[in-house]
Amino acid sequence: MKICLLTYRGNPYCGGQGIYTMYIARELVKLGHEVHVIQGPPYFPEMEGVHIHYLSNHNYFNIKKDYIKPHKPFATFEPLNFYEFVASKFGIFPEIETFSVRAFLKLKELQKKHKFDIIHDNQNLGYGFLLIKLLGIPFISTIHHPLSIDRSTWFEYPSDFRLKIKRVLYYPLIMQGFVARHLDHIITVSEDSAIEINKAFGVKQENISVVYNGLDTEIFRPLPGVKKKPNSVIFVGNVEDRKKGVVYLLKAMTLTKNRFHLTVVDGGAPNRMYVTKWIDKFGLNDRIHFTGKIPGDKLIELYSQHQIAVSPSLYEGFGFPAAEAMACELPLVSSDGGALPEVVGNHMETGYVVKSRDPYGLAEAIDYLLDNPKERERMGKAARKRITSVFTWENAAREMVEVYREVINAYS
Amino acid sequence: MPRAKIWGFLAVILSAGLFALSVFSFFIINNGDFSTFSSVDLNGLNSFTYYSAAIPVAVIALWVLATGFWIGWVILTIKVVPPMPEIVEKKDNSKIKAFFLCLITAALAALLVYGVYIRSFWSLAVPALVISAVILGAIFWVGMAIITTRATLPVNKK
Repeated sequence: MKICLLTYRGNPYCGGQGIYTMYIARELVKLGHEVHVIQGPPYFPEMEGVHIHYLSNHNYFNIKKDYIKPHKPFATFEPLNFYEFVASKFGIFPEIETFSVRAFLKLKELQKKHKFDIIHDNQNLGYGFLLIKLLGIPFISTIHHPLSIDRSTWFEYPSDFRLKIKRVLYYPLIMQGFVARHLDHIITVSEDSAIEINKAFGVKQENISVVYNGLDTEIFRPLPGVKKKPNSVIFVGNVEDRKKGVVYLLKAMTLTKNRFHLTVVDGGAPNRMYVTKWIDKFGLNDRIHFTGKIPGDKLIELYSQHQIAVSPSLYEGFGFPAAEAMACELPLVSSDGGALPEVVGNHMETGYVVKSRDPYGLAEAIDYLLDNPKERERMGKAARKRITSVFTWENAAREMVEVYREVINAYS
Repeated sequence: MPRAKIWGFLAVILSAGLFALSVFSFFIINNGDFSTFSSVDLNGLNSFTYYSAAIPVAVIALWVLATGFWIGWVILTIKVVPPMPEIVEKKDNSKIKAFFLCLITAALAALLVYGVYIRSFWSLAVPALVISAVILGAIFWVGMAIITTRATLPVNKK
């Protein structure tokens, strides 16, 4: 099968969506398919057997200064770039839209030579995809979760009118909903996400297939001989992403009887705006350590050094940090936000599941696990067993190919 | 001077000049007497001629106003769990502001449609002026960025 994957940000080191295309491409190649990837920056590295096509952009939304490239000073006046420039000045996130148009132009050129059997997008859903539909190739998309959830969880936190306007403009929900309804099929990564996509975008349930994400359990594994720090808890995720529920974990820290130390693995200091205020407010400055951005091997070492991992999210479409911690044999305290219960498995067997937005429940769970070392060990082992048996990229790719075949058959 | 900078200066001068010209033609040339414009009679135009200009301008203006209304509506109607009391610092009056945003944008949209219907000069002139100001502003901004961007790498003094 000739498969073309689209991803507007290829970076495999920035959250669930980033690593998705890279692993799926790798596994599809292993299964003997011809895989092309059209990706936007930041790009993922060259991979054996995968044909990578690059689409550049100027990232006007994030780069406020020095966006003129000395070697291409007039690039901003090119139509798509100029639209991106003007829209970003009004707080709109135009990268999705412009990527979809650029991807159409690229596909038009590639299709002459490669004759793809299917095109598979990774949560872009820009208006340009309606043009791609005109190429007459089966076209599907993976939606990890609808962005309406990010928007509503963001509104749960106090902010002013100006910031709220910015947030409403930022999420292109009308466009994504419209485009999602016009694609041939939607893949998502959990049963919960499938329900949310149906609710938010009106995509029919029969047009949605669930294919669970995988995890590289060769990389995420317990390291032998690493000593655990006493009373240590780890949280991995972007602390400014409000759906991660960090504030509930901070509140829980004030309620536990064990005075534990929390390690936060996040994107680094420039990305911290609100959380430092909340830490001051709860008086937790001496109990929290931020690592900032760290390489993968350091993260695995940190998992091995800690006793418990916590995932207090208000919502997760899948929840990679939870799965990673489980794969490293860490007992996990998780909220029941979104798909987390699907990933974590049975309460008290493979993880400790509490209600989301419940700091008291979180505190009780953390105390329970800190007080019971045998239970921690048993739960950690069961957690890894679950991840290695259910969530592999190989399974994901095989199921994906089944979906591809069904869509191609229905299309022809 | 590098060629890029020359074009940057041209973009700045051209956009600033065109904007100054529109300000001059609207506000200065008639000594602030706007009654001259109000008496412009667009009814004499053929309907096809009038609407070929009015519809594109009105559609863009209505799209902007609809976006404003939609933003206000989302903020006004979104249902979320209230924030944890410990992190609330001040009273949030966003919903009141959102209500006024909806009201103002809806009123302006109605006014625009009515103005286009009765062929008022202002219903076309004001949106056209705003749209061109945004485009000229963007060209000016990029031009300035081209002028101030270092065209070559700094000299290594060592």
